[in-house]
Amino acid sequence: MIKAEHYLKPAWVRRQFELVLPMLPIGSSATLQLGGKFLVEMNESGQDLIEGASSVQTFPLMLEGERVGALLLCLPAGSKIEQEHTLGGLLAHTLQGMLEAEHERHSVARETLESYREMALLQRAVTNLNLSLKPAAVVEALLKEFDRRAADYGAVFVYAADSGGYDLEGSFGKDAVQAFVKFKNSSLSADLVARTTGDIINDLSSSTLWAGEVPDFRSLLWLPLIAHGEKLGMLVLASCRTEWFSAADLKRAQTLSSVAATALRNAQLYAAEQKMFQSFVRVISTAIDAKSPYTAGHCRRVPEIALMIAETVHHADSEKFAGFVLDEDERNTMEIAAMLHDCGKVVTPEWVVDKANKLDSIVNRIHLVALRFEVLRRDALLAYYRALAEGEEQESIEAIYQERLRQLDEDLTFLEKCNSGGEFVSSEQVLRLKSIARQRWTDARGQTHPLLSENEIYNLAIQRGTLNQEERKIIEDHAVHTINMLSQISFPRSLRNVTEYAAGHHERMDGTGYPHGLNRDQLSIPARIMVIADIFEALTAPDRPYRKPGTLSWAIEIMHRMKLDNHIDGDLFDLFLSEKVYLAYARKHLAANQIDEVDASRYPAGREA
Amino acid sequence: MSKNAKIAIVDDEVHIRSLLEQTLEDLEGEPEILMAVNGLEGLALIEREQPQLVFLDMMMPLMNGYDVCAAVRKNPALADVIIVMLTAKGQESDRVRGLEAGANRFVTKPFDPDEILDLAREILGCP
Repeated sequence: MIKAEHYLKPAWVRRQFELVLPMLPIGSSATLQLGGKFLVEMNESGQDLIEGASSVQTFPLMLEGERVGALLLCLPAGSKIEQEHTLGGLLAHTLQGMLEAEHERHSVARETLESYREMALLQRAVTNLNLSLKPAAVVEALLKEFDRRAADYGAVFVYAADSGGYDLEGSFGKDAVQAFVKFKNSSLSADLVARTTGDIINDLSSSTLWAGEVPDFRSLLWLPLIAHGEKLGMLVLASCRTEWFSAADLKRAQTLSSVAATALRNAQLYAAEQKMFQSFVRVISTAIDAKSPYTAGHCRRVPEIALMIAETVHHADSEKFAGFVLDEDERNTMEIAAMLHDCGKVVTPEWVVDKANKLDSIVNRIHLVALRFEVLRRDALLAYYRALAEGEEQESIEAIYQERLRQLDEDLTFLEKCNSGGEFVSSEQVLRLKSIARQRWTDARGQTHPLLSENEIYNLAIQRGTLNQEERKIIEDHAVHTINMLSQISFPRSLRNVTEYAAGHHERMDGTGYPHGLNRDQLSIPARIMVIADIFEALTAPDRPYRKPGTLSWAIEIMHRMKLDNHIDGDLFDLFLSEKVYLAYARKHLAANQIDEVDASRYPAGREA
Repeated sequence: MSKNAKIAIVDDEVHIRSLLEQTLEDLEGEPEILMAVNGLEGLALIEREQPQLVFLDMMMPLMNGYDVCAAVRKNPALADVIIVMLTAKGQESDRVRGLEAGANRFVTKPFDPDEILDLAREILGCP
């Protein structure tokens, strides 16, 4: 639209009039009328118009073939019209020239401003639409660009790969969700979804595909969201008025949608990557859990306990935990670290992980030992009959034979007890072990061997538990393997602490743990939480074949001792106790017979106890 | 907006003046748009016309935007003049200087026409 009245400045026109009017007869006046307004009116002495002008000459002013105004000259009676007409023509020509120049300047400026607008919009959109890597946030940011003045309703539908349809991902407007669900079920929507270019419908009632499903919708603007040639979804804007959307609105929407589509694609790709990574993590942790019945479910439950403790620490109003904030990244890091904390066990031989008895190898070798005893028993029986055949006195050989059997039974029972690893093996018992071992038995080829091999003696003599030194080293190595394995994963910045959190779960606050012997100050709060979560889960695990599930009070008692020994973090343990984190976890995961009363008064908070 | 609202544009660059003028012509109520091409002329214009709103460039010949701004702020008769400073993108220190000189708002060049319109509407009290 031409706004000619803006093109000529009254001051400038006045100056032109001042130059020309003196050349006209006294009493002449000039008037400039533009865009239906009288812009300047002036007589030759710069005063008001004089009544009774005898002739009026009109010089039209034109722009783009249209009359936009006129210069009017009022001349007194008796003027020499011809000369005045030439002067008027000259003045009109000047005004016309100026008008055209200004018109041109304004069109260039208007065009430039449109580019400015587009550039500013792009600049803002690129920033606002790329703030988040969450698809929902991208959609929200896109809709926010329209929800002020541009439309009464707006929605983004996103293509859902699993259902093959489009899901309403975000919307604005009065009862927008209901409105757009109705819209989605319309024939018009089905038609638009299939299209690859956007457009405007000025009056929905004129569309044969629209049955007025949403009475409020009178006009519509829609656009497919396309990135890299792939249709990701659709933007729909609706207005309660007909003829609401202009070509400029569509252009603006196109600019925003192109940016939004790219951002949406990035967000979807990122979400897919994350999902894939999480499933990999789950595969590994499931594999560790599945490897051994002794730790089944451990890698699934430790993350839960760890996050429950972390949540409590996050909300704790204490200086001790200042600096720990459980934001989304921290939560993800801790969860992944907790799921993978035992991943080194994947490479630990299961005969070590599962070594329930001292003579367990791939098989429990106590049965081989028992077989040898059987050989000895039969040797004894053989000796008995041989003596009998040689005419020995039955009574005395019977007594010797029975004594021998009793002795063998006693020895085997002793060895079996040693093998279970349930009790401490004293040095006297080791001597007995060695004396039993010195007995000899004869194999099928008639060769004799000691009853127990060196290796069997070595294992049976293990003082505590079932693992010998080498095997204990292998177990401890799982923490090293965890570190080695995790350090090969190039974690993104947000997950850069996974290895540190996961690797420290066997460290002790006094620095006597493994693999690095780190002390409390060298371990982060999340790493210290892992230590507690790992121990608590191990103590209360309901599915360990070698012992009954521990009760809460028993687990807390043991952990309290670990606190006093400065193995676990005292502050965290105190919080674990005072905030009853153990109970919240127990109610979710432990059997009713494990949940007994924990007498908190037995475990005062603080360092000295 | 009152019918005779006045807006001054003080900038030595002709295209900025043109574009600002063009933008402001879209305002409701047809405010009078005045222009000056340097700081000295701008200060004289502001003192003479007492506009409600001034778009003021920072770097100008004869007298820069800060000095114009400071001079306007010293004049009690011009206490109500709202000064919007035009700054080049990314010069945070300019803003600090502008604030010290008494500028009310800032717009970075190249400006967003819609941002200018929103700003003018807000300052002049348009619906």
